[in-house]
Amino acid sequence: MSSRRPSSRGNISEDEINELISKLQALLPSSRRRGSGQASTTKLLKETCSYIKSLHREVDDLSDRLSDLMATMDHNSPGAEIIRSILRS
Amino acid sequence: MAGGKRTTARHQHNHPPPPPPNPSPNRGRGVADPPPASDDSPSSKRMLAFHFLRALARIHSTTPAPRRPRTIRRAAYSSMARAASPRRAWTQALLLRRARSRGVAVVGSSRRAVLLRRRVSASAPPPMLRASAGATSAAAPPVQGPPPRQAGEPARADALRRIVPGGAGMEYCSLLDETADYVLHLRAQVQLMQSLVDLFSPPNPTSN
Repeated sequence: MSSRRPSSRGNISEDEINELISKLQALLPSSRRRGSGQASTTKLLKETCSYIKSLHREVDDLSDRLSDLMATMDHNSPGAEIIRSILRS
Repeated sequence: MAGGKRTTARHQHNHPPPPPPNPSPNRGRGVADPPPASDDSPSSKRMLAFHFLRALARIHSTTPAPRRPRTIRRAAYSSMARAASPRRAWTQALLLRRARSRGVAVVGSSRRAVLLRRRVSASAPPPMLRASAGATSAAAPPVQGPPPRQAGEPARADALRRIVPGGAGMEYCSLLDETADYVLHLRAQVQLMQSLVDLFSPPNPTSN
């Protein structure tokens, strides 16, 4: 299969970049197409950075909440049983 | 989540291994190639849930309460990286970071430290790939900082390189591709953790 070919400067095709940008745009929560161009791409990357940071914050918050919930769970609670059944299946 | 099947015979150690995630999509650069299938497949989500739930079970048994939030957060990123394609630069960066942090933790035990150092060097990316900045393992090629900005590359790309694991050494094209894959798996991890919080929360009397 094709390995990651090192691409020199100016060798990346415009179509390939546009395809990757469209793929990235589809993942953002509020994807509104505002034409193509340098300013639009800069805005897209800015939104991507904000989205990744918000997801990082959610992982932090949910880790805290899972830790709190774990403190209230003993080995006989339904949650622990659910975990064991999922791991067993 | 789908309920697991119930078996009358309980074989605690006989559960089948989880199905492997889909092989990484073909990276051919032909124009006629269809876009690669999304890695957000059900098997990838099951793999993610398996890794994270197993880590939670271990944390529940062994980790003292004050250290649990940080350990859970680390387990979240490790589970993401393990469930994704091992050839992704961001997964290699996360797992390498994980291995090196463990190496520091067991510095007192020389034998385990030696084994972990070998594991770190073994998990280094192959010389074909660019090593992530800051990864100073002996097997990795020396990092010479981020590549020069290409013509037409937006200024915001550097900010993206800082927050995507392994992004510091990427070309612009690879950065976009890795970012999309990272966002996909990060979002799946958040959804998994949210559903677990909902599952384990005490039932609300007012809810249906």
